Amino acid sequence: MKEIFLHIWYVLQRELKRMVSRPLYLTASIGVFLFCMFFFMTLMEKGAAEKMPMAVVDLDQTSISRRVCHEMQATPSVDLILITNSYSEAREAMQQGYIYGILVIPQGFYSNLASLKRPRLDCYYTNAYTVGGTTVYKQMLLVANLASGAFQREVLRKKGMPDDIIMNRIQPIAIDMHMLANPWGNYTIYLVSTIMPGILGLIAMMLTIFAIGFELKSQTSHEWLRAAGGDYTVAMIGKLLPYTVIYLVLGIVCHLLFYNIAGFPVNGSHERLLFGMLLFIMAMEAMGIVLIGLLPTLRDALSIGALYGMLGFSLSGFTYPNMGMMPAVRALSNLEPLRHYYLIYVDEALMGAPSTAALPDALALVAFFIPALCVAPRLHRALVYQNYPLK
Amino acid sequence: MNITRHLYHFWLQFKESGQVFWHELYTIFRDPGVCVIFFVGTLAYPFLYKAMYWNEQITNIPVAVVDLSNSPESRAFLHQWSAAPEVRLTHTCSCMAEAEQLLRNQKVHGIIYFPHDFASQLADPLGKATVSLFCDMSSFLYMKGIALSCNQLVMEKMKNIQIDRYEYMGLGKEMAWALVQEAPYTETALFAPTGGYGSFLIPAVLVMILHQTLFFGICMLAGTVREERTEIYRIPGRKRGYSALRTIFGRAAAYFLLYYALAAILLGFLPWLFDLPHIGAIGDILRFNVPFILSVIFMSICVGFFIRNRESGLVLLFSTSLIFLFVAGISWPKEMVPEGWKYFSYIIPYTWAAHGFIHINSMGASLWATRHEYIALWGLTGVYAVLAIIMFIVAGIRRERKESHLAALEEAAHIGGSFDMVEYFEHSSQPISEDLH
Repeated sequence: MKEIFLHIWYVLQRELKRMVSRPLYLTASIGVFLFCMFFFMTLMEKGAAEKMPMAVVDLDQTSISRRVCHEMQATPSVDLILITNSYSEAREAMQQGYIYGILVIPQGFYSNLASLKRPRLDCYYTNAYTVGGTTVYKQMLLVANLASGAFQREVLRKKGMPDDIIMNRIQPIAIDMHMLANPWGNYTIYLVSTIMPGILGLIAMMLTIFAIGFELKSQTSHEWLRAAGGDYTVAMIGKLLPYTVIYLVLGIVCHLLFYNIAGFPVNGSHERLLFGMLLFIMAMEAMGIVLIGLLPTLRDALSIGALYGMLGFSLSGFTYPNMGMMPAVRALSNLEPLRHYYLIYVDEALMGAPSTAALPDALALVAFFIPALCVAPRLHRALVYQNYPLK
Repeated sequence: MNITRHLYHFWLQFKESGQVFWHELYTIFRDPGVCVIFFVGTLAYPFLYKAMYWNEQITNIPVAVVDLSNSPESRAFLHQWSAAPEVRLTHTCSCMAEAEQLLRNQKVHGIIYFPHDFASQLADPLGKATVSLFCDMSSFLYMKGIALSCNQLVMEKMKNIQIDRYEYMGLGKEMAWALVQEAPYTETALFAPTGGYGSFLIPAVLVMILHQTLFFGICMLAGTVREERTEIYRIPGRKRGYSALRTIFGRAAAYFLLYYALAAILLGFLPWLFDLPHIGAIGDILRFNVPFILSVIFMSICVGFFIRNRESGLVLLFSTSLIFLFVAGISWPKEMVPEGWKYFSYIIPYTWAAHGFIHINSMGASLWATRHEYIALWGLTGVYAVLAIIMFIVAGIRRERKESHLAALEEAAHIGGSFDMVEYFEHSSQPISEDLH
């Protein structure tokens, strides 16, 4: 027993030396992670889309149409950057990516309005850019409804009604919207809480592949096994221990930063969420072992690993829900650890689900260790015989 | 006479860059790792993404109903709402706790709640009825689907109620109608009438796939050259000398040949195959692809110059995909990207290429309307090409100097009769890139 620990210690010592000898190991895990963290936390500092540029095609050119423009300009979510009297000019501006929507005020709007002929406003918005288009669309609807509300208010005021009663007449049904666990509709919380663990997991997987594959490539695997006393399990434990510690610490940093410092909401338990993150990181490392075990050539394993890892972000379903995917692809998404982490995150952080809700996904993450154990004989053979091409 | 000699000399040099070109093509096809990235990556990924965004829109989002008012009005509301494609009313609950339980277990992604007084408030000519919506925020698309469909229905309903109330006030029916429908409006979604998520994202993803596979592939190839202890700025097979222009343009031509064809397939053919918006002129797309591919090639050659072995590139650079996607302002609007990051995005070809391609392909802009992006890409091509040439020349000169220094030492060692020194220097000679750091 003591011997095993001694050998683990030897491998560990050897690994620490290797880690310091090449900048890649520490730069990749810590540098890339911190840079991405900084990037995503500063990119969406406002949290929600504001001041989306749009245009008004004012064919009417009257005081009323100018008031519509003013009202548009006064709202925080859109920025009226172009007032023109030519539709094609506005369309070209849209095709050049300057604006996301066009409101057309028809000729004779004011005179028709005054004679109760119900003139029509035309709202155009782009679907080629989803967030910008939707924001502008919502605002145009609001202004179009306000325009009609404002006119009703004028008429009712003339009839001598107090304002609060007028409002109830104008808006007899109100929608009371509750955005659960993210009441501000904040994009940073929404994106970062899945993307950053995903990046960390991907770094963990790629460096696991690299740490093992580089032994094969530089043909140092015999030296490694010798340090481990010829025992595969001891060799793996000693090698992966320092990396696992680094990633788990980074995972804890990530968790503390989100939920304790930046104050992202957690409706369930902090511990289970953190535990899910740690399990996820280890599952990604296990996938790294699987890939290098199946393809014991470093470059192939890394190429496949990168292709597989990047798919995780889309397959996890946090931007586009899984229910809209092709059924076969929906099934495939279970092969991505990030999918299971995301479901744990939804249960724990957003829903505050009962303690057992996240259990199936935690078990699924544990299940990723099984293929890692299955490739052990193959990887062991590769380490002993070095019978795979080096490049 | 002199001119013909110059021409002949020039021809010889040109032939050498052809040699680099063939050698590079040979290297690419001999290298399974690069082939996976170049061909499997570019051709398989688009299909995977298409399969992922299969339904384009999220329809039939399961929603629970808590109807405490239990009135004909609320039932009529639900009846109409259940006809909306976005939602499906799967569960009817007697109390909020039950519905919350369903939401927690992810059986439903939203709850609609009618309070006790819903009907009575509607009946009261001065009342205000409330509908409460609770949305699962695990994906913004759930919230969008539930909220927009409910909003539209409420707007519709409101008009009828307003008319009733104005009639109750004693206004004539005509007058009431005129008041309510004061400013009717039409709404038209341009460029992707289905409003699908795939129609919006897949064009940007296609550009990203080309950009990143080319970037990774070139960095991998550069790392391999460095690993094999040959110098990237040297014509393959030579032991001495350097030639920045010939090696850079020879290589670039090889990558361009492959990627121009791949780009034509991905950006010209796949939008049609996938039923994505494709209203752009194909000629404009093909012309736009030229500076796009070239700028990515020269940027990658510049970055690849600093990569010392084949794998480190892949390990370090994969995270750039997400950063490039977000900083370009595709899914997150470009107006919201902070100033500092915006300048950073300008030096990345992806930013210009993705916007340009979306403008031409999805929005039907002409190449003239896309001139900013087009010119910017040519600008990046020029800057990166010049940068690559300068780096290659500097590295070549340094190496040359080191070699002549080494040769002098060798000579000195010969005189001294010892060969150890030569061996010592050869082993201690570091890769050139370190000097440049």
